[in-house]
Order: sequence, then structure tokens, then C-alpha cells
Amino acid sequence: MKKSFLAGLAALLMPAFGLAGEYNLTVDRVQIDTGDFVKEGIGYNGESPGPVLRFKQGEEVTINVTNNLDEMTSIHWHGLILPYQQDGVPGISFPGIQAGETFTYRFPIQQAGTYWFHSHSGFQEPDGAYGAIAIEPEGREPFRYDREYVVQLTDKHPHSGDRIMRNLKMMPDYYNRQQQTVGEFFSDASEHGFMNTLKDRMAWGDMRMMKADVEDLQGFTALINGKGPDQNWTGIFEPGERIRLRFINSSAMTYFDIRIPGLNMTVVQADGNNVQPVNVDEFRIGVAETYDVIVRPRDEQAYTIFAESMGRSGFARATLAPEEGMEGVVPELREPARLTMADMAGMHGMDHSAMESKEQSDMAGMDHSSMAGMDHSGMLMSGNGASDPFYAEGSGIVPMAANGGKFLSYADLRAQNPLYEDREPTREIELKLTGNMERYTWSINGVKYEDADPIRLQYGERVRFKFVNETMMTHPMHLHGMWSILDVGADQWNPIKHTISVQPGTTVYMETEVDEPGQWAFHCHLSYHAAAGMFRKVIVEGGPDSTQAKTDAVAGNGGEA
Amino acid sequence: MNAAKFLVVATSMSMSAAAFGAGAHSGGHGGGSGEPGKASEVSRTINVEMHDNYYEPESIEVNPGETVRFVVVNKGNLVHEFNIGTPDMHEAHQEEMMMMVEHGVIQGGTLNHDMMEMDMGDGHSMKHDDPNSVLLEPGKSKEIVWKFSEQGNIEFACNVPGHYQAGMYGDVNFN
Amino acid sequence: MSRVRFMTLGLLSSLLLPTTVTAQEMMEDTTARKQALTTWGVQFEEFEYRYSDDDEELGVWNADIFYGTDELRFRWLTKGEYEIEEQAYESLENQLVAQTPISKFFDAKAGVRFDTPEGPDRTYAVLGLTGLAPQWFEVDASLYVSDEGDTSAEFDAEYELLLTNHLILSAALDATVAFSEDREIGLGKGLSSTETGLRLSYDLIDRAFSPYVGVVHERKYGDTADLAEAEGGSTEDWFAVVGARIAF
Repeated sequence: MKKSFLAGLAALLMPAFGLAGEYNLTVDRVQIDTGDFVKEGIGYNGESPGPVLRFKQGEEVTINVTNNLDEMTSIHWHGLILPYQQDGVPGISFPGIQAGETFTYRFPIQQAGTYWFHSHSGFQEPDGAYGAIAIEPEGREPFRYDREYVVQLTDKHPHSGDRIMRNLKMMPDYYNRQQQTVGEFFSDASEHGFMNTLKDRMAWGDMRMMKADVEDLQGFTALINGKGPDQNWTGIFEPGERIRLRFINSSAMTYFDIRIPGLNMTVVQADGNNVQPVNVDEFRIGVAETYDVIVRPRDEQAYTIFAESMGRSGFARATLAPEEGMEGVVPELREPARLTMADMAGMHGMDHSAMESKEQSDMAGMDHSSMAGMDHSGMLMSGNGASDPFYAEGSGIVPMAANGGKFLSYADLRAQNPLYEDREPTREIELKLTGNMERYTWSINGVKYEDADPIRLQYGERVRFKFVNETMMTHPMHLHGMWSILDVGADQWNPIKHTISVQPGTTVYMETEVDEPGQWAFHCHLSYHAAAGMFRKVIVEGGPDSTQAKTDAVAGNGGEA
Repeated sequence: MNAAKFLVVATSMSMSAAAFGAGAHSGGHGGGSGEPGKASEVSRTINVEMHDNYYEPESIEVNPGETVRFVVVNKGNLVHEFNIGTPDMHEAHQEEMMMMVEHGVIQGGTLNHDMMEMDMGDGHSMKHDDPNSVLLEPGKSKEIVWKFSEQGNIEFACNVPGHYQAGMYGDVNFN
Repeated sequence: MSRVRFMTLGLLSSLLLPTTVTAQEMMEDTTARKQALTTWGVQFEEFEYRYSDDDEELGVWNADIFYGTDELRFRWLTKGEYEIEEQAYESLENQLVAQTPISKFFDAKAGVRFDTPEGPDRTYAVLGLTGLAPQWFEVDASLYVSDEGDTSAEFDAEYELLLTNHLILSAALDATVAFSEDREIGLGKGLSSTETGLRLSYDLIDRAFSPYVGVVHERKYGDTADLAEAEGGSTEDWFAVVGARIAF
């Protein structure tokens, strides 16, 4: 460590050990007013979002959670490294918190950065049970700011989580109001020709896939810190100050593209871990991810924080201003994105599925004929021209900055300080992200959680996970309890995350140092995908005390045990 | 909700805030930050440590016209720069540094020295040999002798992309 | 290089020994998450008033109520035509079927059907196939064997054309073929009847309530038509319809 530096700051910083803090949270039924509608939901300490929990690295926290609901609840500390019994997943970490009970969480805060917490029971999280965590580091931050704000996004829907799940199961396109219409057919036909458009529609119709299938859930009001676009959450600044914005996406289903017109953003942290600073104009935040950015508004004016949903069906809006009540210009929503055949590329993999027989071969046949045919015409196939190595080549959902500037890619992320020594993984586990939009079933390797065996890892090994997205949706995969080291090809500088978005038709690798014993949840963080079965239990066998542990690392033969 | 919670991270915030206020109209006027100094005129030595991504110290005091020897050491894991200039000069230099990153001259913790020698056409190279700055790999150390101008809004800064914006700069305060 | 790999080399012999954290110490997931997700829904594809070209007035519904998991769903399919003036059910049909996926887009179903209109009743065994055909045609084919021993088949297809994302034109075709005659209920052998409908709906409240107007054409063929004529009934009707699609 930087001893000289620490010594220099000794007067400013409390000693790291010996710190202890006690916190109280109640889980309550609350009213959530989005400005568009008022809805009963679930919150903490009487409000949704709940309070911002401010911890200090090195602190031993005691958190008393009192369940005032008439049903079971739980709190999961998203991204925190802690003993598995404290992780808050009913049925995996602990039995849950029964109605009327108080459960006391106790764990040491081993890390710093921006995180969040949420219920891991039923659909309490989409119903409002979430809050933010900001952890001050033991040493100084590798960046400077004069003030900071949590900017926590969510996609509050007028329907309850249970109802949404049921509606999606009844009609998977229940909430999709951006489907292709007759009008779009004719506008496409005038642009690309009638036959090309017809061929395009036929190809998609043959697959029974929708180009418009970017967002399962529309009709929400996007909130920032609990405030709808009209309620306009406002953060105050003095011109010239540096502001740290802790963006947290606590949405059930919605990815956001975030920009602050007039301001450059410097991304300094992703998922709580410092990254080498990247200057961007806009970035996409996946469900459950966090990004910390530094902005420096120099002018005495209001700046709009504008977060468009990835499918462009809604937006969150907030304001940074020198004083309360000021408003910046609120941009228009951009045109909704359309998937392309490139985003469907992963679907070939479905041939493995036992259920597929004739239909599959039909589909494969189609892929090769009409798809290729359309490539030549170069029309509706192409994406928007942008490219990003973490999207399929020619994908229709590659984000572009509204001002034509820099849009953050996973490929830009580099760890500020590698957390682990870089080493060869002990083995690779392939996880195919699978599903069937028409049935609204979601699974891993074609198997839903209810039918799946746990993934068994050995303490001390370093596992390389290979995510192959065979669906047309983006899946934010979240491994509890251990870090997900995203492979961006930067070896020891690969960024350390807790949630990794896997875009349709792509393969993404992450590595995990298996350094926490116990059992953990591992799932897609889209609430209704997880509930539909895109979920696994991970068991870490062995432990630091086990002479066995490191030995067993070699025992696995890949795949799910 | 929890409104703004002011969090002081470093000691020199109020001073840097003052510097921002004056930042807009600096630059331009003759000499800006000063000029390369003569070793014989050095009045004192200031040690500057570069960390990821900040300086230690984060502000220095100089007398108008003083010649100072800076011993700059990179104690971080990343390549860093120590560059004396006005905010405008830094901003202009950041574009050059961006190019160096895009061309692979700066790669996280290493410098590609071969690339630095390359002629970029139109008389430019990516040598990074300006007298007001040093660019150092981790563990490396270098000296600069600098004669400060009489007055001005001067910062020392790291213009590796993102570093300045993240707060890797220090203030030069004139006595 | 890798410390782990180095250490493992010498200790291969102990590979199969138990580890410190055993399965017994860790809990089993018995929460709802580990159970198959059960869900339910109610959909009235048709819930309408029909007015025919010879002044016949009908109240008509066609609904699907389901409960179950991805693997097994129980469905109650109910449809009826109520003659308003005569206060009698021209047709009344209830099916109870169990349904399970057999391919990516298709389910097989089996169950019973009870027809209890004005006039003779029938009970059928049902075997069917339902799902989504290429180009977004929702299709349903059923084979019926009645308690009288007669067999028949019914084929349904529906297509939705999105004029906008709320204004939807849907076309439905329903055809019945009998493989043997059942005079008592006026069913002749061969293609017996078709019902074709065109409805323009507007999603007023989500997809829960979508009022529509439309036209329906009913036609009887062959022996079935002859039987109807002998009874003094019509063999071809045009209806103007107004109603709503309902889902909850």
C-alpha cells in the first residue's frame, strides 16, 4: 500500500478497524407517487426508494431489518462481499424474514463504492423494495469531487409484479407497444422497396420473432430517486464544482441510456469498483449495474440528466441546477431500436434443444436462404451503423451517443487497481442463456431453475464462465458473493463487476476467483426472467480452512455438476 | 430524500474551487505558466508523487518568477503526466494525449517508446518532449526545472485521458 | 505460473475426499422460486352482440380460462351463442382440456367437451393441437369423438394486423368437418360449416379491455346445409357485431 500517502492523510481518516455501526430498516407498505399514478408498493423506513445506507470500508455493520409486511421478506446487499448467510436470498442464504420478525444482519464492510440493496422475495423489488448503498473507502478515492449524489433509477409500473408476470405468461407481448405496424411496413417499403420489406417481414414471421422485442415491459414511469419526469428530482451545485453522480439501475426490467446534454461525464467506477477514468458523452446502464461518473458543470444553468429506456418507450429525467426550480431542456425520445438478424444469430444454438425437431430445421433453412438474401440487398438487416465488440456485428441495439460523441462500451472499462493477480482459470463453464419469448420461459442451458442442479465450484479455483446468449434479449447476469471479472481482453486490467450484460447473439466471458464458501444465487437480474427460471444456485465447496479446497479445484470437469 | 451530502475528500477543495472561478479567461496572455528554468537559478526542490489518479501534494506555493526543481515520481500503476500549464493549455493537450492512447502509445501502465518516435506527419511526433511536462511509467522518476511567470492561473495536471477530469491536477498558488 | 495448478499436482490422490462445507450444512431451496411457476388467465376473445341480416340477435362469447405451469396447463374453453329473442342457446360448448408443450411453438391438448345447447346434448372426447404457426397465425386444430360415436374436426386460425399498436384488425376463421353424420344435431358429413370474422378493435385499457366492431359470416355446407334448410333455418348469415375483447 501507499504508506506515505496513508500517513499523510492520517489526520483526516479514522482508523479502519474498530469501526462499528448499527442501522435499522423497516420493511413497509408505502404509497409510491410517480407523478403519473399513485401505487401501493413496498419500501424501507416508510419510503421507496429506501434510505441511502452510508457505510465505511472496514466497518462492522449490524443491520436490524423489521418486517412490517404480512408476507415474508428479505434484503440482498447487491454487490457486497460477505458471508453467504448474510446475503439475503431466501432458500439459499437464510430462511427469509417472516412477517412481524426482525432479522439482524451482521457483516464486515470489505469494500468501497456504490452498491444497492433490494428484496430478494417474490416481486417485492419491482414493487419498490430497494435502496442505495454508498461506502466510503478506507483510503482516499482515486478521484476528486466537491459533492455527490445518488442517482437511482427504476421503472415503476402501474401493475404489481405478480400481475406483470401473469400477463407476460398469458400474452408475452402484453406490454409491447412498439410492435411493427402496417404503417411501418409501408414506410419501410418506400425506403427499401416493397419486396425487400415483405421478405424481411416474412423472415421474421417465419421465426416467429419480433424485431421490436427490445423491452418486455413497457408502460412504466421511470423514476430517479423516486421522482418521475414531471416531479424532476434536482441536485444542486455551484458552477465549477465537480459532482460525483452514483448511478444505480434498480429497475426490474429496463436498461437506460444516460446523458447530460452539455456535460462530459468521466466514468470512474463501475459496479462499485474503480475503473481507469473514461470520458464519455453517454452510457448504457444495465439492470442492477452501477456507474459512478464525475461531471463538472461550469455554467450557472440547469442541466438535464436524461435517461432513455433502451427500447425508447420511456425516460427518466432529473436536473442538476444551481438552484431549486430551474429546468433544462428535456430532449425528445429517439426512435425505438429494432433488432436485426445479427441479434438472432445465437438462435442457431437452439438446435440442441430436445424439443425442437422439424420446426428447427425449417428455421435453420430460413436463416441461410432469406437471411443471406437480405444481406445482399443491404437493407433492413443492417444495424444503425454503430459498432461495439460487446454487441453482435450488425446488431440493431448498439447504442450511439445522441450528440455523435463517445458512448461507453464495456471494452472501455479497465480496472483501476486489479483486485486479484491475473492467472489462468482452472476450468471453463459454459452457460447458454436460453428462452422462448412466445412462452415467456427463460432458462440456462435450456433448463429452468426448478429443474436444475446447482453449479458446484471449488473454493480456491478460478472459473471462467462463458455466457452464450441464444435469445434475442439482453440479460444482466448477476453472481452473488464473488466478483465477476469481465473479460475485455485487458488481462489483469479487466474490470471487476457484479453484473454483466450479455447482449443478444453474443458470447461474453467472465472469470471468478472462487474465494467465498457457501451457496449463492446466480441469475438474470431482469425480475421476470429470473422468476421464469433464468436462475441457478451456486455451491462453493470447501473453504479457507480446508486443506482439501485447493485440491478439489481440479476435480470439476466443466459444465453444471 | 437524502439531499446533497457534502463530502470533503481532499484538503485543498476551497483553493481549487477558487482556481476554477478564474479558469475561464486565463491562458493566452504571454508566457502563460512560465518557461524552462536554469538549474543554476533553482531556489528549491519540490517532490511530487503521482498516484492513481492524484498528486501528492495537491497544491504548491511559489513566489512570482521563482525557479523550482520538481522531482516527479510515479508511484502508481498507471502512466501519468506532470504538466505545468493553464487550464486551457491542459485542455488542448488532452486532445494530443487522447491521440496517444488511440494510437497505443499509452497503454494503461506502459508506454510504447517506439510509437513515440514515429513521425505522425505534419511535423508532429508523439514524443511528448515539451519542457513543461514529463510522462512517466510506473516506478519512474524525472526532474523538471521550471521558472514560473509572475502571476497566472496555473495548474499541474495529468492529461492522460480521463485523469484530469477525475481530479488529477494540483494548484499552483502564488505567494 | 498458477499456484493452484501447481498445488493440485501433488494431491491428486485426495480428490474424492469430502470437503469442509458439506451439503448438509447448507439449506435446500424450498421456496416458491424452486417450484414450477403456476399462473392463470382469463381471455374473452369474443364477447359480443350480433345482429344478422335477417334481424336475428345473438349474444356470443368465446373464452379461454387457464391455470397451470409451463409444462401442464388446464384450460376451460367456453363458447356460446344466445338467441336473444327466443331466450335460448343456439350453441353452448364447454371444453376442459389439459395442455402440454410438444414443440417450440405448439402444444398438444386432450380432454372433454360438453355441448348443452337448446336441443340434444353431446359429450365429446377431444384431442388437439394448438400454437403459433409461421407468419404469426394462431392455429388450433381439434379432433372430436362424440358419445354417439361420431367424429368431427374443427380448425381455427386467427391473424392480427396491427394498424397501429392499439388499433388492431383481426381475422378469424373457424371450420368444422364431420367424418360421419349426426342428424340429431343437424350435422352432415363433410365440410359442415365455417365462421369467418373480421373485427377492428382498440386497446382501451392495456390489453384487458378492447372494444371492437366487426362483421361475421356464417355458412353451412353440403348435407349440413340441407339439414338446416329442412328445419327451416338459414344456411348463410351475415352479422354486424359489436363487443369487446377482455383479458384479466
